[in-house]
Amino acid sequence: DKYEMYSVEMEKHSGGEMDVKIKKKTKGAKKKEKLENMKKEMVVDDHELSVEDLELKYRTSVTKEIFLRDGPNELKPPKGTPEYVKFARQLAGGLQCLMWVAAAICLIAFGIQCGQGDLTSADNLYLAIALIAVVVVTGCFGYYQEFKSTNIIASFKNLVPQQATVIRDGDKFQINANQLVVGDLVEIKGGDRVPADIRIITAQGCKVDNSSLTGESEPQTRAPECTHESPLETRNIAFFSTMCLEGTATGIIINTGDRTIIGRIASLASGVENEKTPIAIEIEHFVDIIAGLAIFFGATFFVVAMVIGYPFLKAMVFFMAIVVAYVPEGLLATVTVCLSLTAKRLARKNCVVKNLEAVETLGSTSVICSDKTGTLTQNRMTVSHLWFDNQIHTADTTEDQSGQSFDQSSDTWRALCKVVSLCNRAFFKSGQDDVPIPKRIVIGDASETALLKFSEITLGNVMEYRERYKKACEIPFNSTNKFQLSIHELEDPRDQRYLLVMKGAPERILERCSTIMIKGQELPLDEQWKEAFQTAYMDLGGLGERVLGFCHIYLPQNEFPRGYNFDCDEMNFPTSGLCFAGLISMIDPPRATVPDAVMKCRTAGIRVIMVTGDHPITAKAIAASVGIISEGSETVEDIATRLRIPVEQVNKRDARACVVNGGQLKDMETEELVEILKMHPEMVFARTSPQQKLIIVESCQKLGAIVAVTGDGVNDSPALKKADIGVAMGIAGSDAAKNAADMILLDDNFASIVTGVEQGRLIFDNLKKSIAYTLTKNIPELTPYLIYITVSVPLPLGCITILFIELCTDIFPSVSLAYEKAESDIMHLKPRNPRRDRLVNEALAVYSYFQIGAIQSFAGFTDYFTAMAQEGWYPLKCVGLRADWENDHLQDVEDSYGQQWTFGQRLYQEYTCYTVFFISIEMCQIADVLIRKTRRLSVFQQGFFRNKILVIAIVFQICLGCFLCYCPGMPNIFNFMPIRFQWWLVPMPFGILIFVYDEIRKLGVRRHPGSWWDKELYY
Amino acid sequence: MATLNEKKTCSQRMENFQRFVWNPDTGQLMGRTLINWVWISLYYVAFYVVVTGLFALSIFSLMMTLNPYTPDYQDRLKSPGVTLRPDVYGEKGLEIYYNVSEEHSWEGFVKTLQKFLSGYNETAQQANKNCYREGYYFQKKFDAPNHTKHSCKFTQEMLGNCSGLVDPNFGFSEGSPCLIIKMNRIINFLPGNGTEPRVNCTTLDDESPLDVQYYPRNGTFKLHYFPYYGCKAQPSYSNPLVAVKLLNVPINKGIHVVCRVVGTGITSDNPHDPYEGKVEFKVCIKA
Repeated sequence: DKYEMYSVEMEKHSGGEMDVKIKKKTKGAKKKEKLENMKKEMVVDDHELSVEDLELKYRTSVTKEIFLRDGPNELKPPKGTPEYVKFARQLAGGLQCLMWVAAAICLIAFGIQCGQGDLTSADNLYLAIALIAVVVVTGCFGYYQEFKSTNIIASFKNLVPQQATVIRDGDKFQINANQLVVGDLVEIKGGDRVPADIRIITAQGCKVDNSSLTGESEPQTRAPECTHESPLETRNIAFFSTMCLEGTATGIIINTGDRTIIGRIASLASGVENEKTPIAIEIEHFVDIIAGLAIFFGATFFVVAMVIGYPFLKAMVFFMAIVVAYVPEGLLATVTVCLSLTAKRLARKNCVVKNLEAVETLGSTSVICSDKTGTLTQNRMTVSHLWFDNQIHTADTTEDQSGQSFDQSSDTWRALCKVVSLCNRAFFKSGQDDVPIPKRIVIGDASETALLKFSEITLGNVMEYRERYKKACEIPFNSTNKFQLSIHELEDPRDQRYLLVMKGAPERILERCSTIMIKGQELPLDEQWKEAFQTAYMDLGGLGERVLGFCHIYLPQNEFPRGYNFDCDEMNFPTSGLCFAGLISMIDPPRATVPDAVMKCRTAGIRVIMVTGDHPITAKAIAASVGIISEGSETVEDIATRLRIPVEQVNKRDARACVVNGGQLKDMETEELVEILKMHPEMVFARTSPQQKLIIVESCQKLGAIVAVTGDGVNDSPALKKADIGVAMGIAGSDAAKNAADMILLDDNFASIVTGVEQGRLIFDNLKKSIAYTLTKNIPELTPYLIYITVSVPLPLGCITILFIELCTDIFPSVSLAYEKAESDIMHLKPRNPRRDRLVNEALAVYSYFQIGAIQSFAGFTDYFTAMAQEGWYPLKCVGLRADWENDHLQDVEDSYGQQWTFGQRLYQEYTCYTVFFISIEMCQIADVLIRKTRRLSVFQQGFFRNKILVIAIVFQICLGCFLCYCPGMPNIFNFMPIRFQWWLVPMPFGILIFVYDEIRKLGVRRHPGSWWDKELYY
Repeated sequence: MATLNEKKTCSQRMENFQRFVWNPDTGQLMGRTLINWVWISLYYVAFYVVVTGLFALSIFSLMMTLNPYTPDYQDRLKSPGVTLRPDVYGEKGLEIYYNVSEEHSWEGFVKTLQKFLSGYNETAQQANKNCYREGYYFQKKFDAPNHTKHSCKFTQEMLGNCSGLVDPNFGFSEGSPCLIIKMNRIINFLPGNGTEPRVNCTTLDDESPLDVQYYPRNGTFKLHYFPYYGCKAQPSYSNPLVAVKLLNVPINKGIHVVCRVVGTGITSDNPHDPYEGKVEFKVCIKA
């Protein structure tokens, strides 16, 4: 089955090998071999080799040959679909195929007619040309739309070539990163992007941000030691395209370009096939209905024609004409324009859609799998809580600092603030005074950055502050002692003491303290305070936040006079007996708009699942704070702790929420995963690999859900591709993610998804209306032909006239229905069930065709017979008249009054009939577009004139009708005749009938939901 | 969408279809239970009865508004069409092609003319009255029997040499064939504005002018045949005719002839209707 096809598992822990198994039902041995090769290539053991071995392995002197062998060091853009294929795709949708078939049938029919020597009627040829033209023109339009949005996306790409510092033959060079080859020795420093996969040889305080790879927002230390078997976990490999946050390092390149870990994930995405969009499926379903009805009708009348006694070939031509008449020529244009209108509307709200059909997909979405870092969160550590004076204070974590701040009057706060500001090595890049603080670029690791920004906001100019307290000595953070300290002179020149400030892991800090500051008073740190500390620490830790402790001490002046020589290695100063100031916790906070957006998604019946590479605790905390885990929902573990029973005894069905981490997921069968997804409505997946994200998406799809995936990192790209709609972040998103996605949020605002959902649902409803409108007139276009065949009246409606209705006058009204407002609060409804709520269901087709369409036909025939009778041809005279009427050798056919008509006169009378029938259809279509404004509500409730575009469209339609009728020259070009005014009025009662009948239908539907009436007549 | 996209095998499809046709679990036939089918059919029957009723009503009221004697509009009949007898169409329009020496090649023409003129013999014209007046024959009242109006008699004899009475072969055997020009009837149409409309035949080839003998003399339509009051008022009305005897048709060489009806109110220059006010034909006589 499908799941097996893409089940790609990166084994991280098997003997230190980076092992990629692609479980694919391979058909040929060749493919297998290729996969085996791929597997071999994927083995990475470089992190376990010594530097010497490494040098041997990658002889570092033959750069040129290697460059020739490996190619430039850049990710090959996923094999872009060639432009002609993209264009061809525009011509090969469901509707397009229908029209191609119809065009072919027309040509065959034309061929048959030619073969019979009937050269007079080129209608079939015109029809074929029109059909092909429509497909090609809408294809061009769609192609142009997609081309435009592709351009918008491409403009977001970073075009500046990346530079790298490389040491070759003992000399340092600055070269373009894409020139690097395996074996090169490169230097990286804080602020650089890692230019390739690098085995670290030397490092000073080097930290990298792996969030785009793993989803973890915490910086990772990089050092020369091999700390883990797995290349992904070990510290001595820095990965291509990750960010070096601080420190410096040198390393040997072990992989370049597509062979890097990132490259492999990106290429994983390209192996995932795109899913058909729901709207494409709907259109195919609709085409099935149309084709079925067309063939049914065609066959019926073929038999009828044969029985009446037409020759076989003639009957065959009739059959073809009927089948073709069923093709709604204008629908393709309508659908394309409606979709592109919505795409435009979305683009105005910063959602760019790559594929027009994806516009609707969000509306059908029932599950959103969202990445955490950078999508739900700001991807920026921020101080969120402080604990001092035995109280937890909440800091403002909003992006624009619009939130509430805490009480800053306490002396303890002042002391804590001093520690925070001074014991910090991070600094702002210069020249950013105009930039708002949260947006400024900081050199330093994430938590120091957070603290720096925090103190800058609360205190003011920290740089200046630090200068006032001159630094005497500093010990940076290291993993053995787990603290950082610095010693400063005091600002007040009279106070000659030194201030020692320290921060670090809270328990380590507490160990070194003997007092605690409460409300500015130093109190002895007894058991009671220790308990209070523990509680606060646990609380903050439980929120998934990273907690740091802060303490300080004023060094006595007599022991440490000014000019005292502080020695950082010896530590000739006290590092215990300090005064504890407080705890500060940090988190990558959710974006401000996210909780509201998640809430809206939930009211819209959409399930939001978090899928992240980050730790379960952090993930759960963020999930809870944005509402993915709602208030009061518990996981199995929560219930166990609450009830103080072992986890095994908890009834799993009681737990609404569930947090699953990657390790558990790995041991799970797909069925189990599906089971879990069914059991717990609120899901969080943590520590997931890109492959697991893919599996999660697949499992949701197995449940019949239409899945949207949001993400920004490379690690999300396979899932983005697999999803029914992938949504990538425009600013934070990596190119790989953007390439894999169908939709891009230019402002990274998750809330735009809600807009997308709303617009998607609206366009689905409105497309339904447009289609209903467009389908209706198929019947009054078809019945003239049927009557013409069976009753042999002069043809009431010509082929060119039909094309004018389909492609000219009715396009604008049907498009204007796309501007219709929603009938109800669509954001409070459940997403549609893709199996039940079809775009075009039988009720819609039957109601449009056999009720409204029937009334329209009657209107047309009434008008037709009126025009004929008033010009001298009584209805009964018309019956059976066809043979004489169409005989161009008869110049004196008598009408009901005994007048004699030449063929030319009859022909123009026939054109008059065409025009009259055309006007009848137009008049009825005005009623039709009015009734299609709503499906359930009364038009009076919806407002007649609220949709201005629709009103304009109706006026336009009438004007166009007038133009076609009364423009001189029309009779001989397009077979439109100037008709008498009263023939415009004849169909109006039928229009009113349509309107009244539909109001009655809607009333019944509203009054008796679920009744027989509702079931049969609501579409 | 994996579940929706699953490729179904043919047998599965057939099974699904069979299930659609008859679902034993729900007792559904083609997606509906029997009673449901009855209801929906009744609904549609009722719907169509009502709509057809409305249609019938509109057609009925339409018929009520119509004047049985004159049509409401004659938008297409501004100028009468002109027809030729015998009317034999070839590849490009009317063609009178025959061989003088081969009787069977012109027999058909003669028969057509005889048949056509059978409507103009004495017995056929019995009901009509002899008219001698000059000018239009206006009739306000229905003076004729059965609440009709009088029609003027037009008899075969009026066509003289081309009546078929003198020469049963209508001149075909001599190479100077008789052709009959007829003007279409249009109710209340008054051709010529007081002067008699006249048939004028010319050749389009710029050779020697065509020598034509017209019957009745001058090739005119007498005005007392107009106006026409419609088949209800004048059931026995027959169109006046003009016979054209082509006297100098070159042998073995086709000529292109156009016969116009000349008179005010009769246009013959409509490019979209070649039979309006005129008739064009080719004549080719072989020996």
